Amino acid sequence: MASETKKKHDNKKEPNLKGTLASVMFVLAFIVVSWFWVFGIFVTR
Amino acid sequence: MHLHKYEKIWLVFGIGSLILFMVILGYGAFWKGTHPQSHGQIIDPNNVEAYDAFKPENLGVTKVDEGRYVVNIVASAFNYDFGVDDEGNALKHLRIPKGSNVLFQITSPDVVHGFNVAGTNVNMMVEPGYVSKMETVLDTPGEYTIVCNEYCGVGHHLMFGTLEVYE
Repeated sequence: MASETKKKHDNKKEPNLKGTLASVMFVLAFIVVSWFWVFGIFVTR
Repeated sequence: MHLHKYEKIWLVFGIGSLILFMVILGYGAFWKGTHPQSHGQIIDPNNVEAYDAFKPENLGVTKVDEGRYVVNIVASAFNYDFGVDDEGNALKHLRIPKGSNVLFQITSPDVVHGFNVAGTNVNMMVEPGYVSKMETVLDTPGEYTIVCNEYCGVGHHLMFGTLEVYE
């Protein structure tokens, strides 16, 4: 019971970073896709 | 130290890509022999003709073997010296048959120039005092523009030529 209360308390303090995670993953995907795109140009030329 | 669950995820991806790209760099450098085009081969910029490849009669396209060509060029402000044709006129147009293995050798007697065969991977800096070399196979027929892509002075835009890869 005591631990449950503590967990609830922790969850309340934890900031919501869902949007941050989405933006970070978006940047990651952009970097990875553009790297392979440019590498593809290099290989085919 | 307390880290948010999501924070751990992007830290793993961030450090992971850092390691991945370092490994790619190391693989290219140590296993594939990728290196800067002027790999420490030095030349006296005031007397480039002392180097056989840059003697006036050796400039331009030379066929060294079946399907193997060497192209020697002196890049100076603001001109690429591709040698002369049979009538003694300066060449501005290089011709190489499709599928040939071509070694470009370039140097500069004055300032830093660039050498870019637009649309191919031939792209290098030409530094005075160094010989820049790049070997490539030209597989796609067409006419390519050669441009200086390192700003070299007021006549920078006048430094160009063409390379034709013919069937």
